[in-house]
Amino acid sequence: MKFLERFLNNMDKTLSQGPFKVFHPLFGAINTMLFTPGHGTTTGPHIRDAIDMKRFMGIVIFALIPSIMVGSYNVGAQAGVEGLFAAFMFGFLKLLPIIVVTYAVGLGWEMIFGHINGHDIHEGFLVTGILLPLTLPPTIPLWQVAVAVSFGTVIGKEVFGGTGMNLLNPALTARAFLFFTYPGNISGDGVWVALDGFTGATPLAAAAAAPGSAVAALNSAGFTLNNMFFGFTPGSVGETSTIAILIGAAILLITGVASWRIMLATLLGAYGMALIVQYFGGDAVGGMRTLPAHYHLVMGGFMFGAVFMTTDPVSAAGTNAGKWAYGILIGVMVILIRVFNPAYPEGMMLAILFGNVFSPLIDHFVVQANIKRRLNYGK
Amino acid sequence: MGVFKLKKGYDIPLQGVADRRVEKVPKTTAIAVQPIDFRGMRPGMRVEPGDTVKRGSILFVDKQRPEILFRSPAAGSVREIVRGERRVIQRVIIDVSADSAEVFDSYSRSQITELSQAKAKEILLHSGLWPAMRQRPFCKIADFDKSPKAIFISGVDSAPLQAETDMLLEGREQDLQLGIDLLAKLTDGKLHLSVSSKTEAFFSKITGVETHQFSGPHPAGNVGVQIHHIDRLLAGEIIWYISPRHVAQIGSFLSKGEYPASKTYALTGSELDNQHYIQATEGALVSDLVNTPLAVNKQRVISGNVLTGQQTNAAGYIGFYDDMLTVIPELTGRRFMGWVQLGFKASSFWRMFLSKLTPRNKQAPTTDMNGEERAFVSTGEYEKVLPMDVLPVHLCKAILVEDIELMEQLGIYEVAPEDLALCSYICPSKIEFGDIIEQGMLAMEKEA
Repeated sequence: MKFLERFLNNMDKTLSQGPFKVFHPLFGAINTMLFTPGHGTTTGPHIRDAIDMKRFMGIVIFALIPSIMVGSYNVGAQAGVEGLFAAFMFGFLKLLPIIVVTYAVGLGWEMIFGHINGHDIHEGFLVTGILLPLTLPPTIPLWQVAVAVSFGTVIGKEVFGGTGMNLLNPALTARAFLFFTYPGNISGDGVWVALDGFTGATPLAAAAAAPGSAVAALNSAGFTLNNMFFGFTPGSVGETSTIAILIGAAILLITGVASWRIMLATLLGAYGMALIVQYFGGDAVGGMRTLPAHYHLVMGGFMFGAVFMTTDPVSAAGTNAGKWAYGILIGVMVILIRVFNPAYPEGMMLAILFGNVFSPLIDHFVVQANIKRRLNYGK
Repeated sequence: MGVFKLKKGYDIPLQGVADRRVEKVPKTTAIAVQPIDFRGMRPGMRVEPGDTVKRGSILFVDKQRPEILFRSPAAGSVREIVRGERRVIQRVIIDVSADSAEVFDSYSRSQITELSQAKAKEILLHSGLWPAMRQRPFCKIADFDKSPKAIFISGVDSAPLQAETDMLLEGREQDLQLGIDLLAKLTDGKLHLSVSSKTEAFFSKITGVETHQFSGPHPAGNVGVQIHHIDRLLAGEIIWYISPRHVAQIGSFLSKGEYPASKTYALTGSELDNQHYIQATEGALVSDLVNTPLAVNKQRVISGNVLTGQQTNAAGYIGFYDDMLTVIPELTGRRFMGWVQLGFKASSFWRMFLSKLTPRNKQAPTTDMNGEERAFVSTGEYEKVLPMDVLPVHLCKAILVEDIELMEQLGIYEVAPEDLALCSYICPSKIEFGDIIEQGMLAMEKEA
């Protein structure tokens, strides 16, 4: 261990200057991942919390493991692979190249910008690099992944100044890029099952296309509340299993990594809006407007977005009061898009990006309220 | 009387609290008075190395306001005037010899109640104890020309391993009352004293103050937090504050007519062989107080508490405003895969380490930063350790972009670095909130 530490310390010195300096940000990330940075305090507080960004982000990845496992299995199961392990391996081998490409391309960009801005690769990308693959269909062409990651990292994050400064969630920015540039590979009926020529509509698409009751249409297509909850339906890799996502949510909430306010507000916003929509709907109207509110929560990317995407502390509202407004806004928007926009049966991605755009404004009002309280004090 | 039950804040469970027994310091070889203890003060020296001084002799004055005097807490000879970067005077060291004291007028309680405000100010300025009185905003020595909205005394102990007030002031209730009588003369406003359930009994006989009861975790004992809840400080207003031990010191000066230099300090921290209280001289030499051998790269010696104290060492001196010494282990080096450790012994506010399952277990953290600086992450946790209606992240961002107006609107006057110390402690991005607040205070002072 001492040998490795010495080696890293020497390497650190070598890479701080000279022609290989461009690799220093990448090296720095690996270096501090293997051994703590070993910096001491110079001023008060003389002691610091054991928490750091690595553990913070590490816990998010840990919370994603159930989704990765169940999602991989489901990719195999949808493609008709028999057996628990065989199905998992089939799906995992579909997912793995997407993750590898995302990390390789993303870290490449991070390295370049780290070199330009003179900082290490920040931990935020570790999460982005796993979130994005989980929001994609298993059949996505890898070159498109590479292009999307480049867009998400550079335009979504680095142009704002890097991790912590970005307005939009980088993973969703990348996904939105794919969604609008190569819609044929990320929407429709042909992309969700990892078998050539095999089509399978997502539950949302099935519900949207229903001439009468959406539940009836779902049932006749074989989608029950149960298998949507457990995640045995076509869809993006990580989004299908609500139960796996909820395990992740429990981890995030127990550790305090994600804001319970945002999660709860998103849930309440969506559920409330869905109730309203359904109240004014009815079987005569048909399609999404007949869908009971609780169905929305287990279908499509809603839960994955509500747990892992809305709670991204950088692009979400920063004030506690603002988090409520931000979550409710996203919850309401996702239902509006799903129900009233026939072009997009899935609304979560756009709703969250919409929420991201509005979060500075929401915070602005909260800050103004704080200022007003101060001005009015004693009057 | 107000009752304030604060929910927000955090008591870091630390090893090394002082036992409730007072020992006498075996020897006093040297003491120091340190101009750097007084924020923004530049000294005008009145002594030179080699001069003999008595207890109570003037060592230096405030260059801008020469009425503010700094007197020697011990008799002896001036060994050295230590200068730091840019020749800033850091401390005046005095080799202590046999005690002899300057003599001042003494006052009885009835005499004090008849004093005018001007005379009361004059007495306090002359005593050399005026520097004990500080003002908000800006945490510097109170400006005697201004009249404060109120004077605040915090009798609530909440900082990590904090010295307990009743131990520091045991048997000095009368001095405390005398000091309070004098303070009452200094303001037309109220004299606020906050107590906790622990210190309530000690302060129960004190009269002439408005008493408030505070409960809750640190920083409930910070005077800034108390001001925020009792009578918020607004732009253009001034509040004075002073610690109970300094009030007692003033009382002692008034009754005896001598500069009172005897003080009780708490010796705390996991690295000391035994932790207890010690009766010593103001500005005492660390190695006189502590008999545990100290090495610079093994132990961090802090004058004050772990959150806001100043780093010193065995050859250093305890600060003017500090009533405790904390000794903790220094960082030992890099740890393998620190970020995935289970953390049975981790000191953390977050629920991400197994030590959270045994919150009563006290920890002995080192001076490790446990990470590197990153961008702000608005998780809402900072608000959990700041019991004030202040948005810490937004205030700090306003300071970083030097937006004077926004800083004022977001409450820069209401906070001091010490009030946000826990924000720095819990920060996963390792942001120095205290330094940022200090930067903001400097910007506001320049503006004023």
